[in-house]
Amino acid sequence: MSEVKLKKETNILDVAELENRIKELCQQFPHGITDQVIQNDMPHLEPQQRAMAINKLLSLGQLDLLRNSSGLLYRMKDTQSNSKMKGSDNQEKLVYQVIEDAGNKGIWSRDIRFKSNLPLTEVNKILKNLESKKLIKAVKSVAASKKKVYMLYNLQPDRSVTGGAWYSDQDFESEFVEVLNQQCFKFLQSKAETARDSKQSPMVQRNSSFATSHEVWKYICELGISKVDLSMDDIETILNTLIYDGKVEMTIIAAKEGTVGSVDGQMKLYRGVNAVIQPTGLVRTPCGLCPVFDDCHEGGEISPSNCIYMTEWLDF
Amino acid sequence: MTAQEVRLCGLLLREHFGEVVEKVGTHLLRGGAQNLRTIIHETGISLDLVKKSLCVLVQHGACVFSSGRKGPGSPTEYRTSCDRILRILRYPRYIYTAKTLYGDTGELIIEELLQRGHMTMSSTVKTVADRLTQNMEEGRCMDYSEVATAFAKLVETHFLQRCPPMVKAGTTGSATPATPATPGTPAAPVSTAPPTPESFPDCYKVPHMTLVGRGKRQLCSEEGEDQRNAKKARMDSQTHGDEGISWQVNFERFHLHFRDQAIISAVANKCDQTSSEILRTMLRMSEVTTSPTATCTKPLSANEIFRSLPTSYNIARPILDQYLTLLVDDPMEFVGKAGESGGGMYVVNLHTALANLARATLESVVQERFGSRSARIFRLLLRKRHLEQKQVEDFAMIPAKEAKDMLYTLLSQNLVQLQEIPKTPDFAPSRTFYLYTVNQLPTARMLLQNCYKTVANLIERRLFESKESKRLLEKSQRIEAILASLQASGAEPEQLTEVEEMITATEKQQLEALRLHINKLDSAENQVDESIFLIESYVTSTASTS
Repeated sequence: MSEVKLKKETNILDVAELENRIKELCQQFPHGITDQVIQNDMPHLEPQQRAMAINKLLSLGQLDLLRNSSGLLYRMKDTQSNSKMKGSDNQEKLVYQVIEDAGNKGIWSRDIRFKSNLPLTEVNKILKNLESKKLIKAVKSVAASKKKVYMLYNLQPDRSVTGGAWYSDQDFESEFVEVLNQQCFKFLQSKAETARDSKQSPMVQRNSSFATSHEVWKYICELGISKVDLSMDDIETILNTLIYDGKVEMTIIAAKEGTVGSVDGQMKLYRGVNAVIQPTGLVRTPCGLCPVFDDCHEGGEISPSNCIYMTEWLDF
Repeated sequence: MTAQEVRLCGLLLREHFGEVVEKVGTHLLRGGAQNLRTIIHETGISLDLVKKSLCVLVQHGACVFSSGRKGPGSPTEYRTSCDRILRILRYPRYIYTAKTLYGDTGELIIEELLQRGHMTMSSTVKTVADRLTQNMEEGRCMDYSEVATAFAKLVETHFLQRCPPMVKAGTTGSATPATPATPGTPAAPVSTAPPTPESFPDCYKVPHMTLVGRGKRQLCSEEGEDQRNAKKARMDSQTHGDEGISWQVNFERFHLHFRDQAIISAVANKCDQTSSEILRTMLRMSEVTTSPTATCTKPLSANEIFRSLPTSYNIARPILDQYLTLLVDDPMEFVGKAGESGGGMYVVNLHTALANLARATLESVVQERFGSRSARIFRLLLRKRHLEQKQVEDFAMIPAKEAKDMLYTLLSQNLVQLQEIPKTPDFAPSRTFYLYTVNQLPTARMLLQNCYKTVANLIERRLFESKESKRLLEKSQRIEAILASLQASGAEPEQLTEVEEMITATEKQQLEALRLHINKLDSAENQVDESIFLIESYVTSTASTS
């Protein structure tokens, strides 16, 4: 009798021990473990016992069952989320999981519907619920202003969703960009000017008129015009717009690894340049800027003789 | 030739040669090669006037004639081309260039030749010397030989050239081209291109000319020089040994000079004065050796350049090397490196420079007309060739809405093109890539036409302005004439002021305003012509290389 009891007890103890051991294993491999791993760890265990322990953990919601190419995977469930999910039903858990999987890119409510196979009204209700519990949040995407994506509450949205430093509340801050554009140009221009005034040999003059993107970045940071932290890449995008404005030239030089401002052994150098030509003759006449140029004919309603733009220009 | 070109040609012809020539000229431009009978019939102008207008056009090289296309014996046909007539627009610039290069004498020589089409050397020299003497102080006058030297210099630098001798229809001569007879050689090819002046070996050979003496003053008051005057009168009737050789202005040479100037000033803007001076030296050195259509100059070694630099620049050899390296490194690629021998061989990339300048012109048009942000998009497309709308927004950092607006505006003005690339053959918009792009050459061509129209508009407006104040102008002219005659007859000062007061203050104001307007329009015409020149040379240079 006592023997049997003892056996049972050891059995129960065994089961608890087994569960703990599996949990430990899961913690060791946060990416998940396969059946094989458990088997290797505890070779004496019978498959039946193993299955029982896993099933128990799964039903308690402490373990996640995942499927990948090599078979089934067991993974530890986030205990934190587990505690948060207290008092939620399975559907909610499902939706939460779908959203969690989307990471910081977020997921669109329609995609949630497809993935969870729940009706629209149900999904909407659950989303509202989760939102009120501050488990998830809705973020407006910059790509489409009407489109809301959902992600976990504690996540920082991805750049592709917020649009990076240039967006605030999904509005493009064109003024901010313009100001940065001007400041960068001012910096490069003053650098070019001091180089020109230095009266050194032409080569030195040219080389000292160059500024690395890192220097520009530092200058902008020290100016403190930006509320958000700008990265080097952000500054390079701004500098690129200056190139398209025709005000700045860029060259890439090889830099020693580890030099400040070098990326992959390259350093981008920028310098302010002057325009090649003055505004061309055509646009110094009213006709060059005329909005009705194509409709203008001698003897017509709009003609050079009665042109008001021309009259204003002549009397200027 | 386009409608805009014909319109502009018509206006230019009207301004310089009058309405009849305009009518004949535009008719020839529109209708292509035609014989005399057709011209008379279709324009409804009398034979005499048509003959005279054709004479004028031929005299100025704006019209060529050849034996008919229908074989020997068919009537002579006349043909004219826009190119030559459009040169009229550039006359002020030719004259100004001659003035800066060769002083007043050069200016007058070019001016006379431009005004008269072509002349013999002796008559040019005489006219110019007379005109110079006219403007000199009493008692001084211009020597013929001096003017002749200036003339020879202009020929030497190829700014002037001999007119091609009349091969066909030579018996009729240039003075009587209207006689539609005698095709010189019966076996003449049906439509030969008119011979270029350069194809004749003596093109730039100055003939021996016996012309001594000085410029005359029309109201010559020097009494004690009867002897010389008499001698001169005798000279005038004499032959000078250069009859039959007439000279014309070599527009191509002037254009090469303009092109060089444009490149030099671009470098001066972009880099600095010293670089531009080095480039000027390089261009001057290669002036003679490089053919007009070459894509780049003949290679010049750094040593040669150093030796040819004017000493006043004070550029040391190592500095020169640095400057040359900088010029080669410049993204505009005005100067290229052709080799390492002789301290480095350098070339000036003429065609690349022209293309770059033309591109800058296009950019400047977009910039001024649509604002700097549109110009940013335009430059972006020029650099990256093909971009989707989204990419344009991202690269240019312009909010989607504005970028869309700008792109569509540029598209509607034909400055930007749209290329559709469907993923499926049904061209469904959702499955199609829409790529924006800028085609530099067609865009340049379009802007060229716009330039022509602009100049025509400006001329039209100028004519309109002077027509409006015709009465006023005539009045002021009349009064000036009266004043001059009164002054000559030694009238009282009161009388003079009385006449002067015939023009009221408001009228004076109006005249002043009119003068300002006309000047403004004139200078605008010249400015637009500079754009025309740049774009034109770019278009022709790409046409010749491709």
